[in-house]
Amino acid sequence: MCRLSVAAVRVSPSSGTAGWPKLMSVFNPQENYFALLGVPQAYEIEVSALTSSYRALQREAHPDRFANGSERELRLAVQQSSFINEAYETLVSPTRRAAYLLKLAGVNSDMSSTTFQDPEFLMQQMQLREELSELQDAKDPEQALDVFYRDLDGAANSQKSAFSQSYNQQQFDLALAAYAKLQFLEKLRSEAELKESELLDY
Amino acid sequence: MALMQISEPGQTPEPHQRKLAVGIDLGTTNSLVASVRNGNAGTLADLDGEHLLPSAVYYPETGVTVVGASALAGASTDPRNTLLSVKRFMGRSFADCAAAAGAKMLPYELLDQGQDMVKIRTRAGDISPVQVSAEILKNLALRAEASLGGELTGAVITVPAYFDDAQRQATKDAAKIAGIHVLRLLNEPTAAAVAYGLDQQDEMAIAVFDLGGGTFDISVLQLTKGVFAVLSTGGDSALGGDDFDHAIADWFVAATGLQDLDMFQQRSLLTAARKAKEALSDTDAVELVLGDLSQSLSREQFNALVDPLIDTAIRACKRALRDAKLRSEDIANVVMVGGSTRVPRVRERVAQWFGREPLVDLDPDRVVALGAALQADQLVGNRSGDEMLLLDVIPLSLGIETMGGLTEKVIHRNTTIPVAMAQEFTTFKDGQTAMAIHVVQGERELVEDCRSLARFELQGIPPMVAGAARIKVKFQVDADGLLQVFATEESTGVESHIAVKPAYGLNDTDIADMLKSSWEAAATDKDARALREQQIEAEALLQALSSALLQDGEAMLSETEQQDLLAKMEVLHHEREQGSVASIAKHIEIVGKASELFAERRMDASINQALAGRQVDEL
Repeated sequence: MCRLSVAAVRVSPSSGTAGWPKLMSVFNPQENYFALLGVPQAYEIEVSALTSSYRALQREAHPDRFANGSERELRLAVQQSSFINEAYETLVSPTRRAAYLLKLAGVNSDMSSTTFQDPEFLMQQMQLREELSELQDAKDPEQALDVFYRDLDGAANSQKSAFSQSYNQQQFDLALAAYAKLQFLEKLRSEAELKESELLDY
Repeated sequence: MALMQISEPGQTPEPHQRKLAVGIDLGTTNSLVASVRNGNAGTLADLDGEHLLPSAVYYPETGVTVVGASALAGASTDPRNTLLSVKRFMGRSFADCAAAAGAKMLPYELLDQGQDMVKIRTRAGDISPVQVSAEILKNLALRAEASLGGELTGAVITVPAYFDDAQRQATKDAAKIAGIHVLRLLNEPTAAAVAYGLDQQDEMAIAVFDLGGGTFDISVLQLTKGVFAVLSTGGDSALGGDDFDHAIADWFVAATGLQDLDMFQQRSLLTAARKAKEALSDTDAVELVLGDLSQSLSREQFNALVDPLIDTAIRACKRALRDAKLRSEDIANVVMVGGSTRVPRVRERVAQWFGREPLVDLDPDRVVALGAALQADQLVGNRSGDEMLLLDVIPLSLGIETMGGLTEKVIHRNTTIPVAMAQEFTTFKDGQTAMAIHVVQGERELVEDCRSLARFELQGIPPMVAGAARIKVKFQVDADGLLQVFATEESTGVESHIAVKPAYGLNDTDIADMLKSSWEAAATDKDARALREQQIEAEALLQALSSALLQDGEAMLSETEQQDLLAKMEVLHHEREQGSVASIAKHIEIVGKASELFAERRMDASINQALAGRQVDEL
């Protein structure tokens, strides 16, 4: 999260904002990402709406709009543009979006204290890990990888729906568990990507 | 200025509120400057009609520093004071350069500055690559101001997509020394895509295939509704058109049984090889002649010679696509950049591998500068209503060193910029009051495998038990990919106000010193600005006259009148480079006088033409 001083960013209406994009004067770094990007605060979002609103905001706020402006204008533009990027990248990623929603709901999503009580998920994890470790011995590693990614996607999708359902019913404990599983699956994916570059790089 | 009268009939001067902005391609071998005029991007030529400025700077025994083609001449007579290809050393330490240059011997002496940027020993003193680049940029800015007729508002300067923070900072510092306001540093492949107007499309993956004289770069870009992201880059820093020449030369030596060529013969052979290569773009066979030896080379033979080299490039393309997680059929457009992509075999193989014809309509040497000019034009507000927005990503992850020499990434590669991210760290000893912060760039786990960008210390942490302090380190990367780092102790609010400059960059005092010395060098007479203004005026006059002469010289002036004018222009040309404020002014006056008659005749002609036009209209 970026920590921006409100005082440094707010522009008083009397400071001669003629010619400035509107956003400059209404920019609030504490603003809720969903509100900033104009999408309803929910786990299910319409990515195309999110993206087009993101682009509209960046068009007003990006430092390129102030390439010829004062140093102060440029600095403010860098700050608000960074904030918009951070907001967009948080909401567009299913895992980060889940963490953000939990945070807004006052749930600590810090993983260190979470333990797993779900034998079904543990089983699935073991299976996926086995699949991953056997990749290099496969007859066609590239195809085996494709299969693995498909399995991973399937597992992630079911956790996403679980999160969505629990979150909508305000069952935050269950939502937190689904989020934790999503994170595990994500870690597995980055391990697979590492393996992929090793496998295909000889 | 009297010569303003020599404007084309029917052409109105540009509205004066239009801001002058240029795109600059600061290349390893050649550099270019381009601007948008009447809605079209075009590169700007120097007085001799040359668009490419060789990226060469010569420090002569007497007189001022020489840049470009005339500097190249020094390479054979005075190699130690002729600096070429310094782009390779921008933001690089001696150790980096030694590793990169490898066995290749440099004709000039590199000085080890430890962690700092390497310097080069010349008779003008120990010169930083930043200063050399500044000379090239200054030359291009002067050219632009002369041909556009006014002061530049700013410039977009292109850099390779893989340039790290230190290399970008060095490029920006060079512009600062050259007195150029940088509107934006733009990635070269992004600029090439913009030149082709691909930013107007909605969504697609683009490959930019850049084969120059000595380097090969492949970049994969993802365009999503006006947002350009670099997905991956790759290439070979020792593969280029020069290798094609060598392949032909080797073949000739083998075919003729030549032995023990001296330096001179070697050079002639390479020149002949290059000419043969160029000729084979248009013909099926050429005769290669060296002294009394001669061999015929067909295009098929040539193709067979260069195929292994092109194989290397294609392999790099495969790797880049895999890093981008795309397949060749996902690529909607392939943009060709660099002079060596003129070779038909290169185009053929690229088309074959990507399964589509590459874009080759724009001059591959100029395409990057053209895209930069389009972006510059928009950034100064000349292209209103246009909705292009170029968002770049950072090419390498940024992080800090933690216990045990491990890297903790704060911002991951391919994150859209500008971006601000913070990470919390804590103390590891009881009563620890200071924390060393080491900023690194790279993908590897171990700090020693990453590039060190900066070190600084957060002091005044109140003594607490280990692990109690909460140090927030914030990274801020701007739209040019340049980094600032701030550190705060959260519980007490102790802040480190140091905005970090990369270790390989220059601090502000360095830049001030370089600015001063560059002024001193230029101020052979009065003050640098007056001299610069006179130089600009001279250049503008010569430029306007040259193009007027080219058009109407034959028709409106006698042979002797032309000769007289050209001789006076030649003197002014010389004075512009070497003379003082007073002597340049004097010769501007002389040339102005000498061209009056010509200007008058052109005026008459254009009035007649205008009158004639009206009569036709009225009839």
